[in-house]
Amino acid sequence: MAVSLRSIRNGALIVVLLGIPVLLLRSSTQDPHRMSAFDRAVRRIGAPLEAAVSYSAGMLGAFFERWVLQARLQDTNERLAGENRELRQRLRELVHLQEENQQLRRALQMREKVPEDMIPAERVGVDQSPFFRVVNIRVDRGSEYARPGMAVLSPDGVVGRIDKAFDDYSDVMLITDPRSKIAVELARTKAQGILEGRTEDSCTLEVSKDYDVEVGELVQTSGVDELFPKGHPVGQVVEIEPLVGDQQRLHVVPSVRFDRIDVVWVVLANAPRPDPRSEPGGAVVQARGLQPVQ
Amino acid sequence: MLRAFVYLVLGWVLIAVVGGLADVLSLTIMLPATSAVIITHAAFSAGTTVHFGLAVAIALGYLEDLHQGAPIGTLALAHGVGFLVLRWASGRFAITGFVMRAAAGLLAALLIDGLTLLVLLVLSDPLGVPREALWGATRVLHWHALATLLVAPPLWSGIDRLLAALRLDDRPPQQAYWTGK
Repeated sequence: MAVSLRSIRNGALIVVLLGIPVLLLRSSTQDPHRMSAFDRAVRRIGAPLEAAVSYSAGMLGAFFERWVLQARLQDTNERLAGENRELRQRLRELVHLQEENQQLRRALQMREKVPEDMIPAERVGVDQSPFFRVVNIRVDRGSEYARPGMAVLSPDGVVGRIDKAFDDYSDVMLITDPRSKIAVELARTKAQGILEGRTEDSCTLEVSKDYDVEVGELVQTSGVDELFPKGHPVGQVVEIEPLVGDQQRLHVVPSVRFDRIDVVWVVLANAPRPDPRSEPGGAVVQARGLQPVQ
Repeated sequence: MLRAFVYLVLGWVLIAVVGGLADVLSLTIMLPATSAVIITHAAFSAGTTVHFGLAVAIALGYLEDLHQGAPIGTLALAHGVGFLVLRWASGRFAITGFVMRAAAGLLAALLIDGLTLLVLLVLSDPLGVPREALWGATRVLHWHALATLLVAPPLWSGIDRLLAALRLDDRPPQQAYWTGK
């Protein structure tokens, strides 16, 4: 059987092609310290190719990693978003509790400082008068405890007084109410006068021009009216308006932010006068009054 | 020539894809031998000459050597000899349908793994590879073959469609390549 030249050529080509991996294998089996030029050339050619293969695999791996991880991240993101909403809600509640806690602490501290017989009350509502543009607050103490005219205090200062007492609650007339008049004095000069309500957030006080009043001066209760305890902060002078004659009108901003009140104290009775027969410098016994609401 | 180049580029990309997916999914054993499927396709394709097919097989084996960190030439030789065996088989069998393609992928993977094992056993002393370790590796070869079995039909169809898109196919144009018929 005659063998064609084409078959011989094909066979030779196959042998040559198969010889390449055989030579590569021979190169692989050589001692690295005794490599021939051919072996070194094989290594030299293989190194960049190996780097290219590794790089392409790494690049595609990174692509798939991003693709696969994106789905996982989406699930994680949704879970974390849910946790975040829950935690934000809890944080809001905690902030609210913290504020409430601070106010209660201040209220309790005030209770320790003020000797008058007082009862705590919580604000339960706000009324806005359409005629006077004044906000009145409503507290959770009814006529069982509160009587019209009783002073209402907060840790920041004077709030007002009980206007109307109902069964379960009472309306408080704020010091900014145009009907409100309380006896006050300037803390520095001791100039006394009557503080009258004017607008939603302002009061006025007229004192003699003989007193050198400065803007920013503190106004406090004088206790002359025997309604508000003496020395309790009322507000701050923000403007001095000279009047015809020997008077000057002081515009006072209340020290209490009425929109932020939560707990107030209703003064049930004034503190007993000190016993003149007692020894001076003795221990001061505070009025006990009723205990704060738990 | 262009057909061989397409096989080679596709083989390179698939080596990288499998390597990347294996890295992401932490797979070490059940990885398909995509190069085995490609050389099977080339061997059973009338449009590929023996020389170009053999060159493609050796080149893909060389890339596998580089990628897998095997002694250079091991997989190149195994792929080359494997291609010749498959080419011989293509004159006696025809591969039609998904099942046959899957079986062909399985057998090609086993063939190349067997040839690789043979080469390594023969050269175990000069390469410094313990023979016990080589015999131990045979216990996981079936996972490799099984993964190739699963991948072979879609990969085969994909190669058909790619070659058809590049007008490098060797089938009549009215035949639908993706049906596997």
